[in-house]
Amino acid sequence: MKIAVMSCIHGNYEALNAVLSDIDDQNADKVYCLGDLVGYGPHPNAVVEMIRALDIPTCQGCWDEDIVEGLNACECSYPSVLAEKRGKLAHDWTNQVIHPEVREYLAQLPFSLRDDNLCFVHGSPHNQHEYLLPEVNAFVAMERVLATGADVLFCGHTHVPYVRSLDAGQLQIRVKVTGKSEANMSFSAPLKRIVNAGSVGEPRHGRPNATYVIYDTNDDQIILREVEYDYQKTCAAIIEKGLPPIFAWRLARGMEFAERADDPTHVCER
Amino acid sequence: MQTLEITLVTGSSGAGKTTWIQQQIRPIADTAIYLSLGSDETAIDATYLAAEIPGLTVLPVTHLANFSEQPPDKHVIYLELGFHVDLTSLILPDKMVVHRRVAVLPPGTRHPECHDWADLVVTGVKTSVALQQPHLWRSVLSGQVLDLASLNTFWYELTHGAYGTIQRAKGIFDVADGRSLYFDFVAGLPETTHLELNLPLWLNGRPDRFSGIEVVGEMLDQEAIAQTIKECCLNDQAIAYYQQQIKDSLEPGDEVA
Repeated sequence: MKIAVMSCIHGNYEALNAVLSDIDDQNADKVYCLGDLVGYGPHPNAVVEMIRALDIPTCQGCWDEDIVEGLNACECSYPSVLAEKRGKLAHDWTNQVIHPEVREYLAQLPFSLRDDNLCFVHGSPHNQHEYLLPEVNAFVAMERVLATGADVLFCGHTHVPYVRSLDAGQLQIRVKVTGKSEANMSFSAPLKRIVNAGSVGEPRHGRPNATYVIYDTNDDQIILREVEYDYQKTCAAIIEKGLPPIFAWRLARGMEFAERADDPTHVCER
Repeated sequence: MQTLEITLVTGSSGAGKTTWIQQQIRPIADTAIYLSLGSDETAIDATYLAAEIPGLTVLPVTHLANFSEQPPDKHVIYLELGFHVDLTSLILPDKMVVHRRVAVLPPGTRHPECHDWADLVVTGVKTSVALQQPHLWRSVLSGQVLDLASLNTFWYELTHGAYGTIQRAKGIFDVADGRSLYFDFVAGLPETTHLELNLPLWLNGRPDRFSGIEVVGEMLDQEAIAQTIKECCLNDQAIAYYQQQIKDSLEPGDEVA
């Protein structure tokens, strides 16, 4: 069975359409979405309506949560004062234009989804705002996968796609129970994987193309797909709708700066 | 009557006027004086040289007349002329005698005005952006403290064309950890990271020293540049918070302003 996984659409309707078309071409049997349907982009309502119309199982992303709960991001969500101010601008704009039924839909999205030995989350199994960057240390990476009970953990949030295999991982823990001597306990874990789907609507891999993932359950094959689309149309809509022009500039270049935070691999404690 | 011999240095934007002067001055810093004409209140080059060359005397242009009346006991004066200064309009005080005129130009450049004017033409660096109608934008930022991560983002955007075509950009910025940083960009040259100026950490409120930015380019979105810089600036509460953290981490003897 072929599963398509996409994430971080961010109100980019043009990119979503292109990715859905590519998913059709790949003959995927199922489609999952890892959230962040809204934020930064000019068409949040249209994106949500499309996802709902196609009945695509979707997790709640950090942006989806913030639009429902009100902006309450932890400090680690923003790598700089400038990024935070821009994020708030995007939040305010999205908050104003979002339809009530769209907000209700975002509110009822689950935090995670399961399908057999696969788990789907937005940021990490612990938090929508936590970045599972490819360089996060192996212990943390393994802990995050084991916390789900699944073998393959699909995530997004970083906007940079990657596949990470945690091969024959072993955890050793020293345990001291009151009144007893310390004991070392070892756990061996079989192959686990973290698959980051990148971003449909706001890529940060240096090109404007949308990215998503095709996973074939029959042979465990993972393909990172990159899809061209008319990003200039989205850029024009960003400016036309009154969003900051810098959003269009960076969208056209596939760049953002989240990964430039002082400590992007830190563990979110929100 | 004592006369003062000066070297006038002109050239195109980004060609390396200040760099050439720095090379000349460094070995004789204790007997050298530097002035920059055309920088107005945005004294980036003067601040940079004063911080980087111990012993150098840097004078504001407003002191030029008084200075020529009561010259100090120093003999080597370098007067840098901004690329936008009209060379024919330059009138110096009577006591100043031009020793030599130097033009710093990119390789292969034929610049009739400079070539006719200069005694010496120095081959500088070539920029990858040739501007039809260079536009100069400046802003004094003294007293402002910037978040470094935000500043890095802004500088990347600026030098990669988010706010117009940039040929040259330079700036001195005070950042949250107390440092004063010098940023320098010339289109076509390898990107360099910022340089920490040889100044004490400023850890007591808003800095009382120069900081500012200068940009040369075309189609500049000045409003967006100014707004983005403003969004990189920290408020009093944040400044106090960061400064206290740095103070707490200092070792005895660390130099603080």
